[in-house]
Amino acid sequence: MDQPPAQPAVAEETPVSPRADFWSSFIWIALGLAILVISLKMDRLERFQASIYTAPGLVPGLLGIAIAIMGAILLLRAVRGGALQSRARAPLVLRDHWRLIFSLGLSLVYALVIVASALPFWLVTAIYVAVFVIVFQYAERRAAGQVPRGIAVAVVHGLLAGWLIQYVFEELFLVRLP
Amino acid sequence: MFDGLLGFAHSIGNFASPTVILYALGASLVGLIIGALPGLTATMGVALMTTLTLKLPSDQALLILICTYVGAIYGGSRSAILLNIPGTPASAASCLDGHALAKQGLAGRAMGIATSGSILGTWIGMFFLALFTPILGEMALKFGAYEFFWLAVFGVVISGNLTGTDPLKGWIAGFIGLFIAAIGQEGMYAYDRFTFGVHDLSGGIALIPALVGVFGFAEVLNVMKDKPQKFIINTYDTVIPKIKDVLQYWRTVIRSGLIGTFIGIVPGVGEDVAAWSSYAAARRASKEKEKFGKGSVEGLMAAETGDNACVPGAVIPVLTLAVPGSAPAAVLLAAMLIHGVRPGPMIMVENPTFVYDVVAMMFFASIGILIYGLTLTRLLVKILLVPRALVMPVIFVLCAVGSYAIASRPFDILVMLVFGIVGLALRSLNYPMAPLVLGIVLGDLLDKSLRRGLNLSDGDLTPFLTRPIAFVLFLLVLFTLLMNIPVARRVMGQGTALLLRPFQRT
Repeated sequence: MDQPPAQPAVAEETPVSPRADFWSSFIWIALGLAILVISLKMDRLERFQASIYTAPGLVPGLLGIAIAIMGAILLLRAVRGGALQSRARAPLVLRDHWRLIFSLGLSLVYALVIVASALPFWLVTAIYVAVFVIVFQYAERRAAGQVPRGIAVAVVHGLLAGWLIQYVFEELFLVRLP
Repeated sequence: MFDGLLGFAHSIGNFASPTVILYALGASLVGLIIGALPGLTATMGVALMTTLTLKLPSDQALLILICTYVGAIYGGSRSAILLNIPGTPASAASCLDGHALAKQGLAGRAMGIATSGSILGTWIGMFFLALFTPILGEMALKFGAYEFFWLAVFGVVISGNLTGTDPLKGWIAGFIGLFIAAIGQEGMYAYDRFTFGVHDLSGGIALIPALVGVFGFAEVLNVMKDKPQKFIINTYDTVIPKIKDVLQYWRTVIRSGLIGTFIGIVPGVGEDVAAWSSYAAARRASKEKEKFGKGSVEGLMAAETGDNACVPGAVIPVLTLAVPGSAPAAVLLAAMLIHGVRPGPMIMVENPTFVYDVVAMMFFASIGILIYGLTLTRLLVKILLVPRALVMPVIFVLCAVGSYAIASRPFDILVMLVFGIVGLALRSLNYPMAPLVLGIVLGDLLDKSLRRGLNLSDGDLTPFLTRPIAFVLFLLVLFTLLMNIPVARRVMGQGTALLLRPFQRT
């Protein structure tokens, strides 16, 4: 008998609940309507003898209508798919998402610091990379009894990354850094 | 035909300097590594390399970008075969048979098939790039506002239809992209739209920072949000491609090359669809259907030939219509504009040799993947095992630096961050990113074409439907939309059956 083919380990898409589609549809409807209203309020430049067909708000207005209509179709589809049926929802536990929250937070802080501070680029980059590596490899290193080694590897990796990126961009390819 | 060959030979001659060859080989290697590492895509690789090569001469910069693009699409097969994880979405189809071969101890043979399929696919695509671009370029000269309007709509609709599992979400993403392109000063009267007094928004949302956000930062967050997997790599045999594998499946190679090139030409669809379509066509036509999914040489050859043939195919509409055939091609289009190359209908008039330069760049890229395909197996295996925690912060630094480098504007870093976060949210809700990107690229074209067209016809809509090319494009849009409405699909199916009845045997 034929066996089903092995599926790739990483699936491209996981199913989305009708409830998630239900809420996202509201965002599209609201966005579409907001675009339409702002477009209608735009100057039609008639004082420059501009044709009504070249008004700056024409195309965005049509796009707003299209986005709102598609949002409404998504809403209807989500409702038909059972979005309004009451089901017990798993409570959101922030601790389960610490990896995402930490990588997002650290990256945002890094972006802010390279733009707003006077610290050297290589140093900020080295600190960011080292902290990132230490935090995400901590559990594994601790289990292997290699925490000091892990920290050393992270610091060296950070310093190397900071120096190399600065060298390649600024010296080799003459591109300005923040 | 001979003019094309001469042009190609001339371009090869122009590039034959040690520095340029070094750039080509270096960029192919960078592309290969980016493609091989799961989580790093060809689009991100080309976008990051665009920022790195800003100050290089245009021909050298574009050579680097094309080699990165081709290398990344090929590189994805390595992790597909060895880890059963597609390095890029384009290699998802290669997992099925590539990894099955690896589990049988034939990973080396699988990598050899991937190498030969990728090179042959690139060459088939290159042939059609050289052949079709002048023809399509001439045809594109007949395009006016009406045709460009429908082309932009068609691009977003077909991309939304084919790149995800849910066409409605694809279309929403595409229309959001079109709206994003409307932010900033519009092209006719320099009127500020949706800027809300923010000076930095007047220049619009720059494509590269947006793409780096969607394909770079979002990918960093996406990879880091899950626990790292432990990878096990099976032993592998020789990676030298067997000539028998190519000769035995030459029909599959040519068919997949044609499918890949054609799908590349269709706006915004891309390499993953090319690979799956080639794979499905090979399976349908195969005498060994039962082997597909269990280690079929033919299946792997089809997928790898198809996705690499798509690369030159995706460049054809970039050159002739300034419309990208895939997400990485959208970055390539932006890079061409940054470097002062003006792709579009006038390219064969203003810069006819450029097309052959691009073909020559593809050729150098194929030589790069041949060399690395045969020699760098052990190194690549080691790179695949590098922990993601070491790679991803460096990628984010490159995203931030790259976004800033384009115009030295801190605002572009903010754009990258916003697009990264929004991109991650949209992807988690299964909104495909390719239509969004295509929408951003085509937004300006759609805006200007619709307004110019309406102005020329004084508000009359009939020229949008009566000019031959515009009418064909309109029908394609309509057909694509109707095919997704069950009632319309049923009616069309019945209508087709009714029309074909006289020709069917009783």
